[in-house]
Amino acid sequence: MRKLQAALVVVALMVVAAALSSCGSSGGKEGGTLTGSFASFPELDPNIAYTAEGLTAMYGTYLPLLTYAHADGEEGTEVVPALVENLPEISKDGKTYTMTLRKGLKYSDGAPVKASDFPASIERMLKLNSYGTPFYTDIVGAEEFAETKSGGIPGIEADDQSGKIVIRLTRPRGTFVQELALLYAAVLPAGTPAKNLTADPPPANGPYEIVEVEKGRGWSYTRNPQWEKSNAARIPEVPSGHVDKIDISVVRNSATQVNEIERDKADWMQTNVPADLYNKVKDRYEGTQFRVERPINIYFFWINVTRPPFDDLKVRQAVNYAVDSAALERIYSGALAAAHQVLPEGMPGHEPFNLYPHDMAKAKSLLEEADPPDREITVWTDNESPADEAGAYYANVLEELGFDVTLKTISADVYFQLISNPSTANLDTGWANWFSEYPHPNAYFEPNFSGESIGSTNLSNTDVPKLNEKIAKLGEEPLGSRQEDEYAAMDREVMELAPWVPYGTNTVSTFVSSEIELDDVIFNPIFGQDLTSFQLK
Amino acid sequence: MAHFAIRRLAGMIAVLFAVSVLVFAIFNVIPSADPARQLAGRSANPQLIASITKEWGFDDPLPRQYLTMMENILTGKVVSYETRENVDERIVEGIPATFSLCIGAAVIWMFFGILFGYLSAVRAGGLLDRALTVVAVTGISIPVFWLAAILLNYLTYRLELFPSGSYVPLTESPLEWANHLILPWVTLAVIFVGFYSRVLRSNMLDAMNEDYVRTARAKGLSERRVMTRHVLRNSLVPIVTLFGLDFGALLGGAIVVEGIFNINGIGQYAYESLINLDLPPIMAITLFGAFFIVLFNALVDIAYAYLDPRVKLGETAQ
Amino acid sequence: MDGRSPWYLAYRRLRHNRVALGFGALLAAIVVFVVAAPLWADHVAGTGPNATHTTERVEVDGEPREVVNREGEPVGPLWLGAGGKFFLGADGRLGRDEMVRLMYGGRTSLFIGVVAASITVLLATILGLLAGYYGGRIDGLIARALDVVWAFPVTLLGAALGLALATGGLGIGPLQISGESLWIPILIIGVVYTPYVTRPLRGQVLALREKEFVEAAVSQGSGPLRVMFGELLPNLLSTIIVFFAISVANTMLLESMLSFLGVGVQPPNTSWGTMIADGFELITSAPLLTVIPGAMLLLTVLSVNVFADGLRDALDPRAKLRLEAHAGKAEPEGTAI
Repeated sequence: MRKLQAALVVVALMVVAAALSSCGSSGGKEGGTLTGSFASFPELDPNIAYTAEGLTAMYGTYLPLLTYAHADGEEGTEVVPALVENLPEISKDGKTYTMTLRKGLKYSDGAPVKASDFPASIERMLKLNSYGTPFYTDIVGAEEFAETKSGGIPGIEADDQSGKIVIRLTRPRGTFVQELALLYAAVLPAGTPAKNLTADPPPANGPYEIVEVEKGRGWSYTRNPQWEKSNAARIPEVPSGHVDKIDISVVRNSATQVNEIERDKADWMQTNVPADLYNKVKDRYEGTQFRVERPINIYFFWINVTRPPFDDLKVRQAVNYAVDSAALERIYSGALAAAHQVLPEGMPGHEPFNLYPHDMAKAKSLLEEADPPDREITVWTDNESPADEAGAYYANVLEELGFDVTLKTISADVYFQLISNPSTANLDTGWANWFSEYPHPNAYFEPNFSGESIGSTNLSNTDVPKLNEKIAKLGEEPLGSRQEDEYAAMDREVMELAPWVPYGTNTVSTFVSSEIELDDVIFNPIFGQDLTSFQLK
Repeated sequence: MAHFAIRRLAGMIAVLFAVSVLVFAIFNVIPSADPARQLAGRSANPQLIASITKEWGFDDPLPRQYLTMMENILTGKVVSYETRENVDERIVEGIPATFSLCIGAAVIWMFFGILFGYLSAVRAGGLLDRALTVVAVTGISIPVFWLAAILLNYLTYRLELFPSGSYVPLTESPLEWANHLILPWVTLAVIFVGFYSRVLRSNMLDAMNEDYVRTARAKGLSERRVMTRHVLRNSLVPIVTLFGLDFGALLGGAIVVEGIFNINGIGQYAYESLINLDLPPIMAITLFGAFFIVLFNALVDIAYAYLDPRVKLGETAQ
Repeated sequence: MDGRSPWYLAYRRLRHNRVALGFGALLAAIVVFVVAAPLWADHVAGTGPNATHTTERVEVDGEPREVVNREGEPVGPLWLGAGGKFFLGADGRLGRDEMVRLMYGGRTSLFIGVVAASITVLLATILGLLAGYYGGRIDGLIARALDVVWAFPVTLLGAALGLALATGGLGIGPLQISGESLWIPILIIGVVYTPYVTRPLRGQVLALREKEFVEAAVSQGSGPLRVMFGELLPNLLSTIIVFFAISVANTMLLESMLSFLGVGVQPPNTSWGTMIADGFELITSAPLLTVIPGAMLLLTVLSVNVFADGLRDALDPRAKLRLEAHAGKAEPEGTAI
C-alpha cells in the first residue's frame, strides 16, 4: 500500500510540476528585469502625454474605462473594456453612453477605483489644458468647463454605489468609443492634483506601476501589487506582465542605444534603429532580435489646391504621376512601405489602390495639357532627416517637371506651426505626415479634408461641400462594416481630387537583445511595444 | 582695492543684464515661432492657443514678459516650452556631467599645453620644437565636432576600445566615470593644448630676453633653474588670464562634444534646446555661461590688480 | 639702417620661410580646386551640387550600378571608374555627387570665411581706433558693448542669432536679406568675432598714441581723422594683416560648427560644415562622407594658420605681437570694464 501511495505522490508532484512549468507562455521564464532605453524623456502623466514615447511608457500602467486590445496589427485597433464590464451601450440618437464599472478594482496604493474617479479624471485632463481636450468637448458641459475650469461636467453622471457611468454628448460622435480608450481618459484617483505629475507619477491601476523617476534621466517600473490581488482576474482583456521590473534610461544618441543592445547591455530600445545602422542591424538580426513593424501613419506631400498652378486638377495629378515611391523608399533607407492613398494599411476601411502609378512621361504630358502660366512654386519641408531629403527629392522632381522651385527647409519644431498658419506666404506644397491619435478613419478625413479644418490641419485647403457633409455624417456613426466600406469609397474620392501625394507608411522597428523572446513582443499600432509582452528567455 | 573690486562686480551685473535683454530680444524677433503655438502642439485649435496665451502671458507687453521670465529664472521656476519640464532643475542636474567634462579636459590641456610649450621654448628652433609646433598648429585647426565624430566612429564603434553609452556619475563608479569620459576629454583638450602651448612658448621666448633672466644667469644659476624658476613662472601668469577668457570657446566645444558622445550635461541640453527653438532653456543656459565668463574675467582682473599695482595706477591715470 | 622699406624686408623674410610658403601654396591649390567647381560639374561629373539621382544608375567599367540601393546606401567612391562621375561617391540617400558638393561647399566655406573675417577686421579697426584714440567715455562705451558680446559663449550667440535669422531673414529698413542667404551667417560670424580682434587692436592704438610722432601730428593741428587714418593706421597695418589671416581660420571653424548644428548655412546652400552634418547621419555605414569634408576643412584652416604664422614672423620677427587675439595680454591698462 505504501508503495502505491508513494507512487501516487510522485505522480501528483510530477503533474504539479508540469502544470507550473507551463504557466509561463512559449518557453520563456517569468520574472527578471527588463532594461530599456528611450531617446527622450516623455511626460509621465497620462492625462497629458501625447507623444509615442509617452503612450508606450504608460500603456501598461494607467487604464481608462476602455482600452485597445493588446495585440498586433488590425486586432490591436479593436476597443475592448478595461475598467468597465462591457463596451458602452449607445442610445439610438448616439448621444448617450452607458457603462458599469467593474467591482473590486484597486489602485496601486490600495485605494478602490470608484466610478466618480472617471469624471474627476476628465476634469483634471481639461484643467491641465491637455492636447486631448478637443476629443471630449462634445460631452455636455465640457466645453464650458474647459474654458472656466470650474463648475464640474454635468454631462457625466457617476454612481459609486452601483458603478454606473452615464455620459451625455451634445451631438452624436462616431469616434467617441475610440476616444474613451485613449490614455488621455485614463482614470486616476479623484483627488489627484491638477499639475504635471511626471516627477512623481500617480497611482497605477494597470499591471505595472512607475516607481523611481529621475527627471530627464530615466524611470523604473515594478509589478503593481494590487494588479495580481484585485484587478487581474477582473480584467481578462489586459494581460499581466512577465517581467518583475523594468528599468528605463534616456539615451539620446540612437547609435549608442543600438550599440548597447548589441553588447547585451540593454534589452530593448523604444527608439527606431537609426537610418545609418538600419540595414546592418536588419541583415544581422532580422528574425532573431529585429523585426519591422507597421504602425498606422501616412507620409505625403500636401498640395494647396487654392493657389495656382495647383488649382488645376491636371497639374496635381501630374505631380502624383511624377513622384516615385521607389526613390522615397531609398531615402527612408528601406523603412518605408509604399502607399498611394489616404488610409494606411491596418486602418479599418483600408482597401489598397493606386490611381497614379509612377510615370514621368505621363506626368509631363498632363502638365503640357494643363499648361499653367504660373510656374513658380515654393516647396516646404522640415530639417529633420529624412524629411529634409524627401523634400529635396520632391523639389527636384518638380523642377524636372518644369517648375521654377524654391525649397524652404524649416526647423522641425516650428514647421507645422508655420505651414498651418494661413498668413504664411507662398504655401504651395510641401512635406507632411499624419498619425491619428486613434484608429478611426474619421481621424484621417476630418482634420485633413474637411472645410472646417482649414486654417489648422487641412493643409491642402480642400473644401468640397458634398465631401464635408459626408465626413460630418459618417463622423456621427460608430464604426461598423458599412461605415468601413463608405470610408474606403471616400478614400478613392479624395485621391481623385489629388490634394495630396501620399507615398508611404514609415515603418518602425523592434530591436531587442538576445535575452528577449522576440516573437512574444507585441507591437500595438497605437501604443507601440507592449511592456506586458516582454519576456526574458 | 576694495573700491576696484566692487566696481568690477557691479560692472559684471550690468553686463549680465545686457546679455539677458539681448537674448530675449533675439528670440522675440522671430516672427513665426509663436510660443503659444509651440506649446499647443500639432493639433492646436484656436481655443487652446488662446488659453495658453493667456495663461503664460504671451500677450503681455514685451518688457513685462521679460521681467516675468527673469523672475522665473532667478527663482528657479522656469518651464520649457517644448518639454514642459523645469529648466533650472535640468540645468542643475547637468552640472556634474558638464563640470566633469570641462575640468577633466582642462587638466589634460593645461598639463600638455604647459609641457609642450616649455619643451618648445627650451629647445627653440630644434627638431622637437618644430614637431611640437606642428602638433600645436594642427590642434588649433581641427574642427571639434568633426574630431568627436571620427573618434566616436573609429575608436568606439569600430574598434570598441572605448565604451559607448552615456555619462556615469563619479559617485557610481570612478573607473567607469573616467572610462566614459576619456574620448570626450581628449577631443575637447586637443584644441586648447595647441593654443596654450604656443602662447606659453612665445611668452617664454620673450621672457628669456628680459633683464632679470640675464641677471639670474649671471648669478650662476643652472639653465634649468633659470628656466623653471624664473622664465616659466612669469610666463604662466598670462596663461591664467587666457583660461578665464576661453570659457566661451570651451562651452561651445562642450555643446557639440556632449551631443556627440551622449553626455547628459548642460551642453547637450543647450544643443537640444537650440534644435527645438526652445527659448527658456537657451536663455537660462546662456545666462549661466555668461555668468561664469564674466565672473572669471572679474576675478582675474581683481587678482591682477592685487598682484600688479601698475594696473590700478593705469586705471586711475586714464 | 639701409633704405629698404619694412615691407620689402618682410617680404624677403617670408620668402625664406619654406614651411609657410609650402602651406601658402597648398592654400592656393585649395582655392583653385574650389574655384574650378563649375568646370568639374559641367564637364566631368555632368551634374550640379543639388541634383538628386536617387533612382539612377551609373556605368562603372561597363556595368551599371545603382547610385543608391534599395536600402538607401549610397555608392562609394568610384574614382575614375565612371569617367569622373561620383568620383568620391554619392553623398547619401539623395544620390548627389559628393565631389561636386565638396567643391561647391568649399566655395561657400571660403567665401564666408574671408568675407566674415573682413567684416571683423574692418569693424575692429574702426572701433579700436575710436576707442584708443579718444579714450575716456567713448572708449568706455565701446569697451562695455564689446564686453556684452564677449560675455556670450561664442557658439551660443552665433547659434541664437543664426536660429532667429535663418527662419525669418533679416530686415532693417529697406535692406531685406532672406533667411537662406549666405549673408546671414557672414554677418553673424563677422560681428561675433569683432570683440576678440578689437581688444588687441585697441591696446596697440593706446600704446601708439603715446608715441612722439602722434604728438607731433596733433601739435601740428591734424584733426582726429587725420591722426587716426594718417598716423595710427599705417602703423597698425602689419598687425591687421596678421589678424585678418587668423580671423579667416577662426571664422571658417565657427561657420562649420554653426552649420553642423543646423544654424549656419541653410539649404539649398552647402558648406563643408553642412556636409559634415549630412555625413554624420551615415557615419557608421559611409564614414568617408564625414571624413572627407572635415579633412578638407582641416587642411584649409591649417594652411591659413601656418601661413599666418609665417606672415607674423616676417612682419615682426621679434614676435612682440600678441597674436592670440583673445589675450589682451595683461597690458598695464588691464582688461577692465
